[in-house]
Amino acid sequence: MANKPTAYNNRLGLKGWVYAGNYTFERYLYIGHRLSGLGLIAYMVLHIIETANRMRGEEAWAALMGLFASPVFKIVEYLLFAAAVFHAMNGVRLLLVELGFFLGKPQEPIFPYKSSVMKHRPLTYIIMLLAGLLMALGGSSLFFK
Amino acid sequence: MRETRLWSLHILVIPVIAVLLGMHFAVQHYAPVFYGMSVEKARDFATMIERGRSTAQFVVYILLLAAGLYHGLYGTRGIIRELPLSPAMAKVVDWGILTVGVLIFALGAYVTWWTFVHPGV
Ligand code: HEM
Ligand code: HEM
Ligand code: HEM
Repeated sequence: MANKPTAYNNRLGLKGWVYAGNYTFERYLYIGHRLSGLGLIAYMVLHIIETANRMRGEEAWAALMGLFASPVFKIVEYLLFAAAVFHAMNGVRLLLVELGFFLGKPQEPIFPYKSSVMKHRPLTYIIMLLAGLLMALGGSSLFFK
Repeated sequence: MRETRLWSLHILVIPVIAVLLGMHFAVQHYAPVFYGMSVEKARDFATMIERGRSTAQFVVYILLLAAGLYHGLYGTRGIIRELPLSPAMAKVVDWGILTVGVLIFALGAYVTWWTFVHPGV
């Protein structure tokens, strides 16, 4: 019964959130993209509520900014920055894939098969190296100025 | 068709987010680099109010609110709707996400407006 073919029942469900197999490099990027996206939207909602504190006046605002200057928040800040960089860089890669760039020309499927994922992978590595570089730069200006 | 439009919007707002969030970072974090101003000063109450009183900042914040919230909340909706929800539950999720988005946007827009019309400090 579990897989009764209805419009909404034919999915992996909670299991698909946690484990859906095929753990290639792109699969880890997918998990990272999802977690960073959720982190950013959670931050954005809190951030809008938090910056609304300015309406309570100058003292309230200064107290809040003082709290954010603490070491713990500096680390939180860096994690958020790293998440934003990763999400944006991997997002650019996803856009290229979705719009069909750098996937190779369509070919007749003759053995040995060539996968467009593998065609794309050198670019994937380059983009991730760039993301790593940006994170290191952001961190160096934040922690060792 | 409706789903295609919603997804296209999710993708189309990305350039808006990339540019505006980049500017936001430049103001809040690279102030020493771009504005010759310390980060403390950039986040100071008076500086913030002055910034928010300019029309350019007003437009930037309203657009960033709309684009960021739409992109992020549409993404969240997609994640939740991967679960095997009944059509009724899927509707509840859609309306819940929409309500959160509208409320948070309203708060953000009100605060942006409050700053824009602030007499100054
Ligand atoms: C993403 C979330 C971020 C948050 C919440 C955040 C928050 C903060 C806070 C609270 C401070 C301390 C301010 C102070 O001492 O008054 C700070 C300082 C700083 N941030 Fe960020 N930041 C973020 C991202 C970034 C990014 C993306 C960069 C650059 C790549 C950056 C560069 C800096 C630098 C260079 C300082 C020190 C400047 C100084 O003390 O003169 N931050 N940030
Ligand atoms: C320059 C910045 C950004 C870029 C290039 C970007 C790009 C993308 C792309 C390409 C997707 C996947 C769309 C798809 O495959 O259908 C996506 C998903 C998502 N994004 Fe962004 N995004 C950016 C900023 C943000 C921000 C600021 C937030 C939060 C406010 C956010 C939250 C999300 C969420 C929650 C998802 C869904 C993830 C999933 O389904 O696993 N993104 N983003
Ligand atoms: C990285 C750390 C961040 C810091 C320190 C920061 C700081 C601030 C500050 C101080 C304000 C008040 C207005 C002003 O000073 O001009 C503000 C407003 C705002 N920020 Fe950020 N921000 C950060 C990241 C983000 C991110 C990642 C997003 C979007 C995903 C975002 C979206 C907004 C929006 C939409 C407003 C306007 C809110 C309103 O007017 O109600 N910020 N931010």
